[in-house]
Amino acid sequence: MRFKDRLAFVLSNMKKNRMRVFMTVLASTMGCAFLIVLASVGFGVQKTAVEDITGGRLLTQIDTFTTSEEKPFIKKDIDMMKEIDHVKAVTSRQRIQNEGNVSLDGYSKDLFEVFVPDFKDEQKAGLELSKGRFPQAANEVVVGYHYGENLSKVQKNKKEITYKASLYHKTLTLTIKQKEGKKTKKKTIALKVVGVGEKPPKRVQEGQELFLTKDVLQTIEAFTKTPKGMSKSDIDPKHPQPYNTYDDVKVYADDAENVESIEKELKKKEYVASSRLDSLKEINFVFLFIKIGLIVVGTVAVLIASIGIFNTMTMAVTERTQDIGIMKAIGAHPRSIKQIFLLESVIIGGLGAVLGTIISYLFSFAANALLPVIISTFFQTKVPDDFYFSYIPLSLPLISFAICFGVTLLSGMRPARRATKIDVLRALRRDV
Amino acid sequence: MITVKQLEHEFRIGKKGKETIVPVLRDVNLTVNAGEIVAVVGRSGSGKSTLLNLISGYIAPVQGKIMINGTDVTGMSEGEWADFRLENIGFIFQSFQLIPTMTAFENVQLPLVFKGVKEVDRKIQTETMLKKVGLWEFKDHYPGELSGGQQQRVSIARALIVHPPLILADEPTGSLDSENERALLSFIQQLNREENITFLIITHDEEVANIAHRKITISDGRLVEGSDTDEI
Repeated sequence: MRFKDRLAFVLSNMKKNRMRVFMTVLASTMGCAFLIVLASVGFGVQKTAVEDITGGRLLTQIDTFTTSEEKPFIKKDIDMMKEIDHVKAVTSRQRIQNEGNVSLDGYSKDLFEVFVPDFKDEQKAGLELSKGRFPQAANEVVVGYHYGENLSKVQKNKKEITYKASLYHKTLTLTIKQKEGKKTKKKTIALKVVGVGEKPPKRVQEGQELFLTKDVLQTIEAFTKTPKGMSKSDIDPKHPQPYNTYDDVKVYADDAENVESIEKELKKKEYVASSRLDSLKEINFVFLFIKIGLIVVGTVAVLIASIGIFNTMTMAVTERTQDIGIMKAIGAHPRSIKQIFLLESVIIGGLGAVLGTIISYLFSFAANALLPVIISTFFQTKVPDDFYFSYIPLSLPLISFAICFGVTLLSGMRPARRATKIDVLRALRRDV
Repeated sequence: MITVKQLEHEFRIGKKGKETIVPVLRDVNLTVNAGEIVAVVGRSGSGKSTLLNLISGYIAPVQGKIMINGTDVTGMSEGEWADFRLENIGFIFQSFQLIPTMTAFENVQLPLVFKGVKEVDRKIQTETMLKKVGLWEFKDHYPGELSGGQQQRVSIARALIVHPPLILADEPTGSLDSENERALLSFIQQLNREENITFLIITHDEEVANIAHRKITISDGRLVEGSDTDEI
């Protein structure tokens, strides 16, 4: 029997029992949609949590520290790290530690997050600018995307306002302070902003940096006579601070797969190393269990739907007992009869799975679009930006389709087998 | 065409373990030659329908051997029987056994569908067969919209569509009036004469038995001695 003829048989039978088939398809649609939607909540929350952890930054980034504050990073450490296999770049920043400030048109900010990086290494690691270029002259600087937001001034009405305009091509005034006895000496350096960093991901507190050149650092150190512009009062005379040490060192792997081996190598060399991959692994492990739980609950819904399919197919076999008997009597192969009924249950289950998947996508889209509005309207709570209430990765509908398809096939199997076992004589209602 | 040797069959009645065995056929030996019309007659409960069911493969014998068209069909599986029936046997039933939700055309082409014949070829063959039984204009009618005689002609068309060398008929005129009965019997004779189709007919109707070349009588599950030599 040809597939086309089997299909024609099935479609004709389904047409005759439209309402029953519709209700069964509806049940399997609901089962499949429930499974996907439920799991999509797990995937959505996981995606949100993962993005919180990674902050959109590279998973290939490894934060590196020394085992003791008394043993800071020096150039030799950085060079050694660059030699490790699969290391793409090593960024090393020196942090300015001075009580001075940065000012512009009456707005000012403490020297917080002021770094002296190696711009070549930074570029190699992926630091990009949204505007301008990297410094070429001594007094040129690059600022983080949000640097201006922390430049503030207090108005006459004691209200604090922040700098709103772009810093690009503006000249900042860096004031360095150093105590000499009871007096405080000051030095000002004019810094021209030639580049503005890329906009960082929304929820991450980044983009607040001010990047100086090594020439500016030398000027600062020459003035303060301490490394990185440190206040003399902060230095213990018994433990003088060395020059040319690095405070913020990050190693970048060429591929996420190599992060683990680089981490191991760094630990072997007695550095402290931690990547977001570690946290990610942990959270993914937790969410794996949550998702399995949700999929199991969703599968129960599919199983309930499968009872509907089982019922429908059993009814179909019972109703068509005489037809099946006639078919067998005139030469229908039991295999063909079995395939006809299996095909019918597969079509019902397949339709349910396809419709369920479409509905799930619509639901997911609607949930992400409408729930934040509903929550902020009725509960006066603002949902964080980029919060996923539901997220459907491609694997989810594929898993759900496989579950629906498998369950449907199994639930149709017994009625189909029953159809092949129908006794011809009984079906023909003949006296034996 | 058909050779039956020492065929025995019994029914088990009652619950398992406490069954009563009722013998239905005992030591049945029978030969039906190609091109013959053979009528099996006997009283109700004599075992004639059981004999037909065994030859049709609907039930398996307890003992004995059945050969059809040179093939030993005794130990065939259900699937093998299905293929064998499609190629070798046409069936005519007392109550026609047409599928009520299919038109006359669909009922007739059913064996071709099972054989996997292409739709284009099926249409040609079914049209020829429906024209042969004089029902082409009724092709789109459902069995419920046809008379008993017309339904039996549809059933014959379905039996003939695969050009089987053998047709097994169980009380073929049982549901027909005398006019349709006469028409059917003359059609059977015509098919036998023109296409050399072998007929094995189970009947208790003398008129049906009278068109047979041979009449075999069954009584209490045994062939009545000498009955299969009756030449009509």
